[in-house]
This record gives sequence, C-alpha cells and structure tokens, in this order.
Amino acid sequence: MTAPVREKEAQAALAAPGTPRAAVLALALFEARRLLRRLPVLLALVGYTTWLVWHNVQPWDEFPVLQDADRATQGGPLFVALAALLCANQAVLRSRRRDTERHFEVLALSRGQRTAAHALSVVPLALLVAVGVVAQFTWEAVKPGAIGHGSPAELLVGPLTVLLFGALGVLLARLVPSAVAAPLLVVVFFLMFVGAAFPFAGETGTAWLAPVVGTASKYPFPSGLLGRPAAWHALYLAGLALTAVLLSGSRGRRVQAAVAAALAVTVLGGAAQTRDVPEATAAARQRASLTPEKEQTCLRRGTSEYCAFPEWAPRTADWERVVRGVQSLAGGPAQGQRLLVRQRLEARYGLDVDSALPPATTPGQVTVGTAWGGNRVPEFSTAVAAVLVAGDEKAAAGVCDGRMVTVMWLSLAWQDDPEAQLRHVRLDDSLSGEAIVLSPTDPLTMTAGQTEVVRALLERPLPSVVGRVKAHWAELTSPKITTARAAELLGVHAKVGPDRCEA
Amino acid sequence: MRGVIRALAVPVWRTLPWRTLGAAGAVGLLIPGLPRLSGAEPAGWVTLLLLRAAALVLGLGLAFLLDDPARPGTTPVPTGRAVRTALRVALVAPLAAVWWTAVLLLVPGAHRPPTGDVTLEAGAACALALALAGLAVRHSEDPHPGRPAATALLAAALFAPLLLPDDWPLFVPAGDPRWDTAHDHWAWLLAAAGTIWLLTLHEPLRRLFRRRSPRPRRSG
Amino acid sequence: MTTTVSASGLTLRFGGTRALDDVSLRLGRGVTGLLGPNGAGKTTLLRVLATAVPADRGAFTVLGHDPATARGRQELRRNLGYLPQTPGFHPDFTPFEFVDYVAILKELTDRAARHREVRRVLAETDLDDVRGRRIKKLSGGMRQRVALAAALVGDPGFLVLDEPTVGLDPEQRMRFREVIARAGEDRTVLLSTHQTEDVAMLCNRVLVMAGGRIRFAGTPAELTARAAGRVWSSSGRDPGAKAGWRTGTGAFRNVGDPPPGADLLEPTLEDGYLLTLDGELAEVTA
Repeated sequence: MTAPVREKEAQAALAAPGTPRAAVLALALFEARRLLRRLPVLLALVGYTTWLVWHNVQPWDEFPVLQDADRATQGGPLFVALAALLCANQAVLRSRRRDTERHFEVLALSRGQRTAAHALSVVPLALLVAVGVVAQFTWEAVKPGAIGHGSPAELLVGPLTVLLFGALGVLLARLVPSAVAAPLLVVVFFLMFVGAAFPFAGETGTAWLAPVVGTASKYPFPSGLLGRPAAWHALYLAGLALTAVLLSGSRGRRVQAAVAAALAVTVLGGAAQTRDVPEATAAARQRASLTPEKEQTCLRRGTSEYCAFPEWAPRTADWERVVRGVQSLAGGPAQGQRLLVRQRLEARYGLDVDSALPPATTPGQVTVGTAWGGNRVPEFSTAVAAVLVAGDEKAAAGVCDGRMVTVMWLSLAWQDDPEAQLRHVRLDDSLSGEAIVLSPTDPLTMTAGQTEVVRALLERPLPSVVGRVKAHWAELTSPKITTARAAELLGVHAKVGPDRCEA
Repeated sequence: MRGVIRALAVPVWRTLPWRTLGAAGAVGLLIPGLPRLSGAEPAGWVTLLLLRAAALVLGLGLAFLLDDPARPGTTPVPTGRAVRTALRVALVAPLAAVWWTAVLLLVPGAHRPPTGDVTLEAGAACALALALAGLAVRHSEDPHPGRPAATALLAAALFAPLLLPDDWPLFVPAGDPRWDTAHDHWAWLLAAAGTIWLLTLHEPLRRLFRRRSPRPRRSG
Repeated sequence: MTTTVSASGLTLRFGGTRALDDVSLRLGRGVTGLLGPNGAGKTTLLRVLATAVPADRGAFTVLGHDPATARGRQELRRNLGYLPQTPGFHPDFTPFEFVDYVAILKELTDRAARHREVRRVLAETDLDDVRGRRIKKLSGGMRQRVALAAALVGDPGFLVLDEPTVGLDPEQRMRFREVIARAGEDRTVLLSTHQTEDVAMLCNRVLVMAGGRIRFAGTPAELTARAAGRVWSSSGRDPGAKAGWRTGTGAFRNVGDPPPGADLLEPTLEDGYLLTLDGELAEVTA
C-alpha cells in the first residue's frame, strides 16, 4: 500500500512545473478529450458524417461547379457547432457545478488561462470538421465533370463556425453561469441559422452577419461574378470568435488591448462584408449577361463552335456529345449544319433572382446554361433539336405544329432511356397529355397527340425511324406540316387531334 | 397526506428553480414576440417553427423543475418522491398554461396553426422533459438532474426531425396531408412520456437486477 | 443491550467495486461511532440504513420496521433523522424556514406544534440568533448545524449522522457533541466520523469499517485495549513500528510490535484503530 504511494510521490517530484503556456495547452488537450467524448458532440459528429456521405453520393451531381461546391460545405458543420456551444459551455460550468471553482480560483493557472484552455479545447473538433470539409470538397473536385474554382475562405467557414460557437459557449458560461442558458441559446441559434428564421435575408447586406450565408442562386455563376465577400466573412467569424474568447477571459490590460484589436478586426470584417456588390463585380455581371461573347473562349469541335465562360471550357466536350447525337439523327442539311453553342446567363438583377433567358434570334445559335447533368442534358438536347428544325431559338419557341414531333424525337431518340428523359424534360413529369417542355431559354409545348406520336416512335427500333426521318426531312421540318401528317410520314397510326396553331 | 400537501405548497413553491424557469419563459416569449414587435408578418411555416421552438424552450425550462439542492437530506423522508414531484408539477402547470396561451396569442391569428394540435405538441415536449428529468432523478443522486435532462431533450428535438423515418411523420408543416397522422403520433408520444414520468415517481424498494437475499445470519 | 437496529448480509456494488460486502451489525440505544478510512464504505452503509439507497443483498430492520416493504420503509422514515455527508440547502431559506420545510416533509402538519418543534431544535443546535438570516449568509459551521437541526426535527428514534463534525471549530464541535450525546440518551445514533476523539468522548460503541466490511465491533475501551502493550516510546525511529512519529518532546511514539524491554506507553483509541486497520489492510492486500 505504501510503496506505490512513495513511487507516485517520487514521480510528482520529478514532474517540474512547465511554463504557463504549456499548462494551458495541456489543460486544453485534457478538455478537448473530454469534449470529444461528450454524447451531444458524438451525436453531432455521427450526424455530420451521415450528412457528408448522404450529400456526396447524390447520383445526379456528377457535374459540380466548384465555386458552389465550396459553399455547400458550410451547412453541415452547423450541427457540430451547436454541440460545441452546448458542451464547451457545460465544461466551463462544470467546475462551478461541482463546486471546485473555489479551489481552482487559487491555483497557479488563472481563470483567464483556464478560459483560454476551454476555448482551445474546441480546436480539435474544428479540425475534425475541417477534415470533413476538405473531404467533401475534394470528393467534388476530383469528379471528372468538375469545373471552376473553390475559395479557401468559403471552405474555412465550417471550421470557423465550430470555433465561434464553442467560444460563444465559453463566453456565455462566464456571463450567465446557468445550465439553462446554453440550451436556450442553441434553440435560438437553431431557429436563426438552421431554421431560416434569421431576420435578415438577401444576397448582400446584413444577411452576412449570420455565420453561414448561402446565396440562393438557382444556377452556378462564374467565380468572377459571385462577388461574395468570403474572405471578409472568414475574417469576421475569426474576429468574433477571438473577441468572445477574450471577453470571457481575464480583465488584464493586455487582454483589454487584445479585445479592442479583435473587436476592430470583427468590425472591419463585418462592415466590409455587408457592403453592396463591388462595382467591378456588378460591371462584370453586366458584361457577362449582355455581351457574353466578349468574355468567352470559343472552341471548334466537329462542325460546330462552342463558346463558354473560361471556367466551363472543359464542358464543351459534353455539349458536343449532345450536338453530335442530335445531328446524327437529323436529315438534310441539318446533319452537317454549323451550330454556335453559346453559354448564357442573367446576373444583372442579382444572383438570387431566378431570371429567365430570352431565346436567341441568331440562326443556328443554341443557348446552354451554366448547370449541367440531370435534366439539363435533355433540355439542351431539345434546344439543339429545336434550332436544327426551326432555324433559331426564337422561332423554335413558337413551334405549334407537326415539327414538334421531329424536335422531340431528335432530342430524345439518341439518349439512353428516352422515355425517362421525356418525363424529365416535361415540366409536370408526365408521359401523356399536353405539357410544357423545358429548354435553356423559352419553353416549348407538346400537345397530347404529339406526345403520343413521339412515344410511339421511341418504342420502335431506332434505324427504321431514322430512315423515315431522313427520307422526309424537308417535309417534316416545314412549318406547314401538321402532327397528323408527321405521324403519317413516320408510319404512326394514332388519333392526334388538332395542333395548337389550328385550334 | 392532504395536510402535508397543503403545508408543503408554499415552501415547495419557493424551492422551484424560478430563475431557470423565468429565463426559459422570457426566451420563449421573445421567440414569437420579437417578429411581432418588429412588425414582421412571418409566413405560416415560420410561425409553426417559432411555436415549436417556444414549446421546446418551455420543455427545456421544465427539465430543470426537479433540481433541488437539498435533495441529499430530503430523500429519506416519509413524504415520498411522488408527492414532492407531483406538487412541483402541479404548482408550475397553471403558470405554464397561461404562458403558452400568451405565446399563442403573440402569433398573428391568420398564420396560427391549429391551436389544439400545436398545444398537443407543446404538451408532449413538456411531458418528455419531465420524463427525462424523472429518469435522471431515478438513475442518479445528483441534486441537479436538469442539465442532463435538458441536454437529452435538446438533442432529441434537434436530431429527431433528421432521424425519424419518413413513414412515421412527426414534424410536419401545417397543411400537410400527414398532419393528422403526425398528431396521432404526438398523442402517443405524450402518453408514452407521461407514463414514463409516472413510473419514475415510484421509489424502488430494491435496485435493478438485485439478487435474492440469503437468509439473514446472526452476527454480533 | 436492547437491539434497535439490526442488519445482516448487506451488500452493495457500484460497478465492479463492493461498497458494502456482507455487512452485519446490531445497534442499541446510545451513540455508536463508525470509524474507517476514506472509501471504507461508511457513507454507503449510512445511506443504506437511511433508506436513501437500497442494498443489493441483505436485510435490516430499524426499530422493528423492515424497509423491504413500502409500509416498513415509510414507518422507518417516520422515525429517521438523517444528516448527509454533503447536505444541500435552499440558499434563500432561513434556518427556520428550512427546518420547518423538512419538518413538513416529516409529516408534522400541525402548524403550531411544528413551529414549536422547529424552535426547539434550533435552540438545541444553538441557531436561535440566526434563525431569521438566509442560509446563504451563514458560515459553514452554522450550515452544518442547520443540517443537524433538520435531522433532529420530529424527535426521530434513529439518527444517522454522516461526518457531522467536519469543518467545525473546536468550540462548535464541543457543542455538537453535547447535542449528539443528549440525543443518544434515549435514541439510537449512528455517527460516522474521522475523528477518533469524537468516538472516545461520545460513543458507547464503535464500529470500524474497511474495504466495505466491518472489521471491529465493540466498546471504545475494547478498541483501545487492542493496542495494549503495542505502543512504546523510543529515541529514534523503530524498525518494528507500523507507524511512528516524533512527538513534541523529541521522543518517538511507536505503534506496532515493540522490541523486548521497550518503554511501553498508555494506548489511545486511535492506536487501537490504527492497529485494527493495519492488520485488516494487510489482509486486504494479501
């Protein structure tokens, strides 16, 4: 019994006290180990990992745009951040709850240093989240269809949010030493930052005071047009976290100076991020919307030319595949027609405004958007087919006659599982009746009869239909053709009803 | 026993964790109150979210209801846990009801979800809070069972919407066709939590998994 | 001795450790001291006897009431005064209010009689002067007396006091002993303590616990007698001593196995306690 005691005493005598900084680090490590073993933190980490996996294996996201993928890393860590807030708070309150505060008060490590250790104890959790963020972004970036550029500042937001919330938990424990305060704050934060009850919204301004600001843009934009003050925002979050830590620490003169400095950084970041979109960005948005040809690089592939914003240049190969597929089914001059595929966007009214693109009037020009994959592919295919048949997009949008059968068959027949694509490209996801058909610009309309004919064609062996289409190309693409006549030419026997032009 | 309850009402009233309940009450009133004061007209789904948050906040406050610093000395007394706990709940229940009515009135009538159903949700949240606090009392000797109970309630409230399977709807938006099904589930939840709470009131005579005691031996 | 409390085979495990290991005991009227090192199981034994926690195995009765039944436990609690090791208070209560609150919990419902009783125990514990002051303003010793008053209120037949003299100054401790001794005149008092003097001065019986078991049960004189012939004085540290220290006179006081012809000293209760514990600890580690 006494021998081990003596041994321990001997060890204690050998362990000479280190520097205060080393002590703070040692305490931070100790607290970090405890923090990482708390049930709320573990639950949040499991939830975050599940979210990461679920979010990343979405099968339709084969063509990520990295300037959006970086932002997509920010929402998941919020749960971990809330858990950090709760558990860091409870860790600080622990010594009070167990009534060890009176003892700790007189130890060599001051209250401020203990507070610093508590704040630092969140760092490993933030690093874990950083690993998650990097994994998520890397997963997107290594996809063959990935384009664009991520921003490190956007990637920092997730881990910084965890740090900030942890620091707020520590600060709250020093301000309100009550066990109910942190759960209440978690509910309020959840409402504001997860439940979308944050009082400020919009692309710019006070919406940026929230830790995670997702711009609700429907389509991706070139990184030069985003105008997101991501770096300022990261600075603001870091400054806020630092201010919270320093405020919950001691009240020494040096600390006060540091608080002033941290506060200055926060205000600087906070003010800079809430400004309007910079003028240069606004001008760039104007140019990209009105005169995209001045911003784009054009590539000739096959007979056609593909003009894309520089970040989208790798995607022209995918577009060409669609154009080639459609053209291989077309007849007459359309087979070898020289098309101009131009990428267009509308950014003049803000990125969170869903503005429609007007159809192009230039003959042979096809519009392609900034998003790709999923429904965007059959939509673009329809636009290509419509331009090949009708001449230009403006004219294609007005097609109300039998040409619609040819357009839709051209658009779909070359694709895998054309019926599924037909469903996707129709606004109401239907396979019968009248429906609006989406395209990158103005939509087209299919009547019930046209739908029936197209479906009948899609069910037949491809070569037989191709032969008929090529043989009757001139008549099939004439504005005078009715759906009934087109059906007859293509060998489909069905009651098609009147066309929209006739009605 | 009636005499004991009458005599206990005032001292137990004074031992209630008023500061905690007050903080929760204030935050709970601010949640629907601030949008009201700022003149904002929250949409229907936001209103429901605010009401649910207010109910959760009430639950978090009630999770601390059984906190009693004098617990070590007041456990082995003839007035049992059931009476002591039930008295606490009975004292705070009218106030909670008035408070919840105020919360409901703070929400503009046009956007208010079905009052009875939301009240059922709030009741289930409170019952769950009490059940968790009761479990914490039963399974530890900590005079402050509120902290773990509140943590568990909070975790349940934040994670349940993510983890519940789609075929067992609970947190549905107003106007959703599954609204009635979801509120059947809320009623079940209320009943289950209430039952658990009632079970925790019982002070066990023996510990769980206690083995048969051998014949008492004589010893000096 | 008329047995008022008897227990047999009390066993209680917390996880892998046996806090109580087959404890059997009999208590009669008077003050019984419970000595033992930290972690010996003293507090656990008191909590079991106070019905604050049920035992895993074993049985006991207090004043004829068996806590294995709900009715028996209820009756036991009606006759119980308990001072826990770390008593808690409602800091905004005054001593009067707090003791009154506990008195109600002990089912004293007649208001006038209860208030008389509360005033009696407050007077007995010397809290008359501060009975209107809030507990949060009281010193540690005063709070300890409030807890004792709460245990005494209702004149229970069985008093369980867990280290009641911790944190008291000598004068307060003296007053405490008076109160406890008076209580022990016609009641059964079980008093856990680290202070052998408390036992020597107060108790007519003493129990020594270690490792969850009762290692000694007898009178204080019998415990002291265990050290008879095993305490001696020497000029230097003696290798045969289990424990030895230099006293104020400069000579060493040794407890253990004396060498032949040693200068034997009069043993104290503490010597008996140390030797009892020493043998038992050796047995435990063996």
